[in-house]
Amino acid sequence: MSSNSIKIFAGNSHIELARLVAKRIGNELSRVTVLKYSNKETSVNIGESVRDEDVFVIQSGCGEINDNIMELLIMINACKTASARRVTAVIPCFPYARQDKKDKSRAPISAKLIANMITVAGADHVITIDLHASQIQGFFNVPVDNLYCEPAMLSYIKIHIPDWKNSIIVSPDAGGAKRATSIADRLNLDFALIHKERKKANEVSRMVLVGDVNGKIAILVDDMADTCGTLKMAAETLIDNGAIKVYAIVAHGILSGGAIDVINDSYLEKLVVTNTVPHDDKKHICSKLDTIDISSTLAEAIRRNHNGESVSLLFHDDDTPE
Amino acid sequence: MHNIVLFGGSSHPDLADKIASRLGLPLGRVTLSKFSNKETNVEIRESVREQDVYIIQSGCGHVNDNFMELLIMISACKIASAAKVTAVIPCFPYARQPDAPFKKDGTPLSRLPRNAFKGYSSDTPYDCSASVTPSSEIRDPMEDAGSNYAVIRSVGGYKQWIARSGTLIANLLMCAGADHIMTMDLHDPQFQGFFDIPVDNLFGQPLMIKCIKQTIPNWEDAVIVSPDAGGAKRATAIAERLRMEFALIHKERRSQNKPHKTDLILVGDVKDKICILVDDIADTSFTITKAAKILHENGAQKIYAIITHAILSGDAIQRIKESNIDQIFVSDSVPQDEHLAQCSKVCVFNVAPLFAEAIRRTHNGESVSALFEVMD
Repeated sequence: MSSNSIKIFAGNSHIELARLVAKRIGNELSRVTVLKYSNKETSVNIGESVRDEDVFVIQSGCGEINDNIMELLIMINACKTASARRVTAVIPCFPYARQDKKDKSRAPISAKLIANMITVAGADHVITIDLHASQIQGFFNVPVDNLYCEPAMLSYIKIHIPDWKNSIIVSPDAGGAKRATSIADRLNLDFALIHKERKKANEVSRMVLVGDVNGKIAILVDDMADTCGTLKMAAETLIDNGAIKVYAIVAHGILSGGAIDVINDSYLEKLVVTNTVPHDDKKHICSKLDTIDISSTLAEAIRRNHNGESVSLLFHDDDTPE
Repeated sequence: MHNIVLFGGSSHPDLADKIASRLGLPLGRVTLSKFSNKETNVEIRESVREQDVYIIQSGCGHVNDNFMELLIMISACKIASAAKVTAVIPCFPYARQPDAPFKKDGTPLSRLPRNAFKGYSSDTPYDCSASVTPSSEIRDPMEDAGSNYAVIRSVGGYKQWIARSGTLIANLLMCAGADHIMTMDLHDPQFQGFFDIPVDNLFGQPLMIKCIKQTIPNWEDAVIVSPDAGGAKRATAIAERLRMEFALIHKERRSQNKPHKTDLILVGDVKDKICILVDDIADTSFTITKAAKILHENGAQKIYAIITHAILSGDAIQRIKESNIDQIFVSDSVPQDEHLAQCSKVCVFNVAPLFAEAIRRTHNGESVSALFEVMD
């Protein structure tokens, strides 16, 4: 007797988010044990039947990335060979998303490799949030739902930033201009851009501001905050050019290496990240860190996918009148 | 040799060096590192256009990291227009179903109280307590009252099973772009069938036989022993070649509910004889140390062990030191420098010549069959 219910399995990368998502849907997390053998190979033990069920595996590309990727692949494969009706990979922060083009000789396009691996493992569908380049959807032959944090970010700005109507949206680099202008348009605010010159990976050298921020609150918008060198230099540039305060809102707060020290040291008033990447342990040492919870977006997407309903509503802001 | 490039991954640079020098070639220049967020960074520093590329990476150490590195290197070479990419994987990862994750005294992890996960024996303690969902706590009435076991038990007739990743790993290697795989002593020879591309499963047997003849005195009178029933075929093959006697150790399971309490039975006679235990993989070393104990109890004079892939993770070396094994011969498919330093019983035989020969013949389009015969 097929039940075709939602089964949510969480890998070890972000169990907290998976719990929140499951709660929103009204389920419990399904039973699975993911451990490591003595020789460091991953061991996956599926604890309940998934035959003819709609399986969702939630694993984010953060922490020990390679281990988490292998966990995800083995879990997808295990559910597939256990006759699941459909297996969806829910990957809030897509791993290796920045290696998405051959920008120099013999550079690997690791994002394409990861896409192939996920498909080969047996995923029928992929749900992710704010891909570094939305073209990565084209690397897959299976449907990809690239959800946006934008509605959640807009809501945060309206609620938590006092005097947001006197602010200006700034993109810390040329690549993110489209993302920032979209938010600026929705909020009916002005827009500015910072152009940076990069010499080595993860190292920024010089920044030039294009636009006027004098006397305004500046809100930096970006998709990833990793070492935070960019954000720190951008905040400096903005303060030097007359901004009153600088906020930063980022979709994926990877915050690796010495990022927290860099943030604490910078002119940033607050760094707001979503919980696609776990960072609760960093909040103790950084008071500037604030979280946007996107478990509701993910839960809605999962529910609508399962019920066969449109997901379009998640891509539009619900236009609340002022 | 023309149009050939060798790259060594970070799992076993030493073996890559030895293979390259055996072939008389320099190792290809590649920079392997990690980004700040732990993603793997591969930069290939010489042209591979229309070249025959061989990437040497063993499935040891941080298995997942090394495996991802291998896949990214294969992919990078493929999209850089390499003519053919061969993955040389001496110790194949995820080739078998390891024992259930064990704590030091042998208790399987899945039966431990949740807050005891931190005592897991490995150099990097892995906190997995969070992956056991709270709603699954079903007390096991068979255990002592008052204990706090978070055992995931079968519910509604469902039997739990651990996922076997063999096909997945084969598919991942093929999708990354590998055209050919070279490995040694695969745990399941049927693994070759999981691939659509040619797989050379080289035999360690000739090396083992050479090792026996050269280093064990009075080997003609010794007994080849298989430490479990699964390895019987492997051990008898060697015994037949060398016309030696054979014995087997059998694990008799007493009860279904306590599978880690077993009785070991010796089938065959080893009294006053030199015993040579033969196995393909030694990971936690429970199998061979327990086997050595049984042999000792049954009157064996001396106990040797020959292992192809000596992963020896966790406390394995300590266990071997305290065991009845007199000497253990291992191949260097997995880096052995640390094990050599820690334990004087360990002796290494080299596999680099075997792989170098295989690479040379494959590149020149010659037959590899000769490598499967014993060299006297």
